[in-house]
Amino acid sequence: MEKIKITPFQFFTLIVLLQLGSAIVISPGVAAKQDAWLAILLGLSGGVVLFLIYSYLYHQFPELSLTEYLPKILGKHLGWFIGFLYSLYFLYIGTRVLRDFGDLLVTAIFPETPLFIISLLMVLTIVYVISLGFEVLSRTGEFYLLLLMFIGFVVNFLFLMSGEVELENFLPILGEGWMPVVSAAFPRVLTFPFGEMIVFTMILPYLNNRKAVLKVGLIGLVFSGALIIFATMMNIAVLGIDIVDRATFPLLSAISKIRIGEFLERLDALAVISLIVGMFFKIAIFIYAGVLGTSILFKVDKYQKLLMPICIIVLISSVSIAENISEHLREGLEIVPKYIHMPFQVYIPLLLLVITVIKNKVSGNQKDKSKN
Amino acid sequence: MRLKNSKKTQQISSPSEQNGKKKPSQLLLNEGLEAGNNYFKKSLDQNKKIIKDIVGETSDLIEHELVLSSDPLIKGVVFSINGLVDKQQVGQFILKTLLDDKLKEKLVSSKSSLLQKIEKQILTVNEVTLETESDKTIHALLSGKSILFIDGIDQAFICATIGGEWRSVEEPTAEIAIRGPKDGFIESMSINISLIRRRIKSPKMKFEVIQLGKVSQTNVAITYMKGIANAKVVQEVRDRLNKIDVDEILSSASVEELIQDKAFTLFPTMLSTERPDVVANSLAEGRIAVIVDGTPFVLIAPVTFSQFFKSAEDYYQRPEISSLIRILRYIAFTLALLGPSLFIALLMFHQDLIPTTLVITLAAQREGIPFPAFIEAFIMEVTFEILREAGLRMPRAIGQAVSIVGALVIGQAAVEAGIVSAAMVIVVAGTAIASFTTPAYNLAVSARILRFGMMILAATMGLYGVTLGLIVLIAHLASLRSFGTPYLAPFAPFIPEDQKDGLFRFPLWSRKKKSILSNENNPLDTEKGLNATQPSETGDTK
Repeated sequence: MEKIKITPFQFFTLIVLLQLGSAIVISPGVAAKQDAWLAILLGLSGGVVLFLIYSYLYHQFPELSLTEYLPKILGKHLGWFIGFLYSLYFLYIGTRVLRDFGDLLVTAIFPETPLFIISLLMVLTIVYVISLGFEVLSRTGEFYLLLLMFIGFVVNFLFLMSGEVELENFLPILGEGWMPVVSAAFPRVLTFPFGEMIVFTMILPYLNNRKAVLKVGLIGLVFSGALIIFATMMNIAVLGIDIVDRATFPLLSAISKIRIGEFLERLDALAVISLIVGMFFKIAIFIYAGVLGTSILFKVDKYQKLLMPICIIVLISSVSIAENISEHLREGLEIVPKYIHMPFQVYIPLLLLVITVIKNKVSGNQKDKSKN
Repeated sequence: MRLKNSKKTQQISSPSEQNGKKKPSQLLLNEGLEAGNNYFKKSLDQNKKIIKDIVGETSDLIEHELVLSSDPLIKGVVFSINGLVDKQQVGQFILKTLLDDKLKEKLVSSKSSLLQKIEKQILTVNEVTLETESDKTIHALLSGKSILFIDGIDQAFICATIGGEWRSVEEPTAEIAIRGPKDGFIESMSINISLIRRRIKSPKMKFEVIQLGKVSQTNVAITYMKGIANAKVVQEVRDRLNKIDVDEILSSASVEELIQDKAFTLFPTMLSTERPDVVANSLAEGRIAVIVDGTPFVLIAPVTFSQFFKSAEDYYQRPEISSLIRILRYIAFTLALLGPSLFIALLMFHQDLIPTTLVITLAAQREGIPFPAFIEAFIMEVTFEILREAGLRMPRAIGQAVSIVGALVIGQAAVEAGIVSAAMVIVVAGTAIASFTTPAYNLAVSARILRFGMMILAATMGLYGVTLGLIVLIAHLASLRSFGTPYLAPFAPFIPEDQKDGLFRFPLWSRKKKSILSNENNPLDTEKGLNATQPSETGDTK
């Protein structure tokens, strides 16, 4: 662990950047068609419950990160092993997001540039920023959140001005009943993006105000949930659900529809810039958590020493993780949520919660006995 | 490193007093002078010899022998350095009083010793101190004081007669305010101190003088408001100054270079100003000023990035106007940094992002131009930098020639010859003008350098490269600290109260609390950056 402190506001900005990083582009929940907002809302409420679990675990060990308190709950060896799996998991998500990002840029702007080069530049940037420490990352986040909010405001304002927004696209509500909504929400929307809050279990001990963790975490979660709903619905309102469903990156298609006068058009650049920034933070946070976890498990005094080798692995695996973009997206939508996200985001934390509660009960009883 | 802290610093509270109580650090002085320390003798001739042996063969040493009275015979000698002393003062208050006809009565009548008589009753000079050691005396002599020896007294009378020629207090040339005060610092530290003292008549304001530079023995004053400035930061400034180990300190720029937080950064972490009102304002906010004798630029620390976008003028105009102009400066800085690189990125990678009519105009202009956009921009930028440097360094009289060559040859002829496009000239010129709006010259320079890096990024990876470059830049800024204060405050970390004088300037009546800087328990976690002159591993210094 670094010996640093971050403020609640910085924590908030990191949550929002992490949640919006790729969710804004990829529009989660569109499997529920025009009821995506309901699916996201359901996923968000699930995410809130998950965060309650994470913050309960944090309050049991406020000085420790996930990989440090796992051995305390599960015993030395099993805890170490699960901690190692978690580190791998964080790096794996980082890898996946990096690939998402690289594919997006190749498709959208650089059709002739090799994926590897694009990912390489991103990884180099991440290595530099993370090597400066997490505090620098969170301050940079603070700065960029303001910028992204500004861009978001402008883009949405222009959507409204452009006259492309058609509210009929939202109808019919629940045309096919609750089933599609629920199946879209669980596990997909729950695990991406809301369940990804699990990564903050590595970072929570940095917060300078313990009491604020729960409050700020929930506010951040709900705030970013609201923004995701708004962005997704804006996409559906502009494009219609059919196009959103088919488009790989609906936001880009939607923004290119903005045309005001003869001059304000082709604002994709704004969207792409905010994407690069958002993706940067998301990947950086996951890689940081993974590298930090690994350095704790292997008792490396400075995580910076592991940064470069691990980032090279992440870079190479992100390029070789899938043959092409459709294979990558299919894995991401069908396999990863069920078999990778669910265990790490839901099952293991639930297990930890149960064990901790029982342990507390037992030790509480023992205390009572000893008192008697 | 702490050992050197024992070097004597003392507080002085007025410019005149400062001249009298100077205690030069003996160790350092001896390194600069060949002879060792001597104690003065009773014999006048021996004392003369001590001084002459050390200072000796130099034409600017003035020696004036006196005979105070012939019966009993009392002789004396006055040493001073030509050009450093106020000759009128020496004549009127030392020589005239000592050679006065009535002197003899005074010498005979009173019962106290000769030494006390001369010090307390005869010398009418403003300030007299007695000194027994030669090196301190020599230092005083070389600082412009006059030294009086009297036969039979083994001490030197050091008379504060500092004078000599200084540039008069004039309007600052580098920082101009239309409605603000028109006085600027000059090369004399005591006058600079008085300019500040006139603005803040508070006993809390302290000036601590130390001598830096083994040979140059330059006076450097640490200035702060006791009780307002953070004591730990003051101590840190003191420590860092005491660590300086060089031969000459000739300007505040070298002090800045030696005590700044991070050695390798393009961004200034100390503000230098030649306006006393800016220094007074900063002191009242809890910052610390470092005044270096011989430089009209005073250093201020700790400062943040936003500080470099504030001009003194902001506080002399209506808050609305100041706020708008400040925002304009940020926009101009961004343009100066990114202007050519965005243009290059759009032309080379993202033509589809330019509105159709504009892209047609641009394409028509670029018809027949033999270079890619990047090379074109690069040539123009370098040409402009050469022009600017030429304009800065050459004698004023031939300034017009350069501007004619610049405007006609580089601008018009290059376009007509089809070497560069008119649009590129516009972009480069606009960028150049934008870079002049930054009030702090040293920050504008960093934008000028970074602009080239951004252009290379834009030429290789388009907007993607520029965006990544910006992330790296912001992260670098976020990692900087100026004497413990995070460089990007109050934006990151975000401090609501300080937003009132950040991007905007709120009316003065709305600012009830002082800047967060002056708060001892400020949330900036400033202590972490302290005691770490090279906080390269920001996270692990605590």
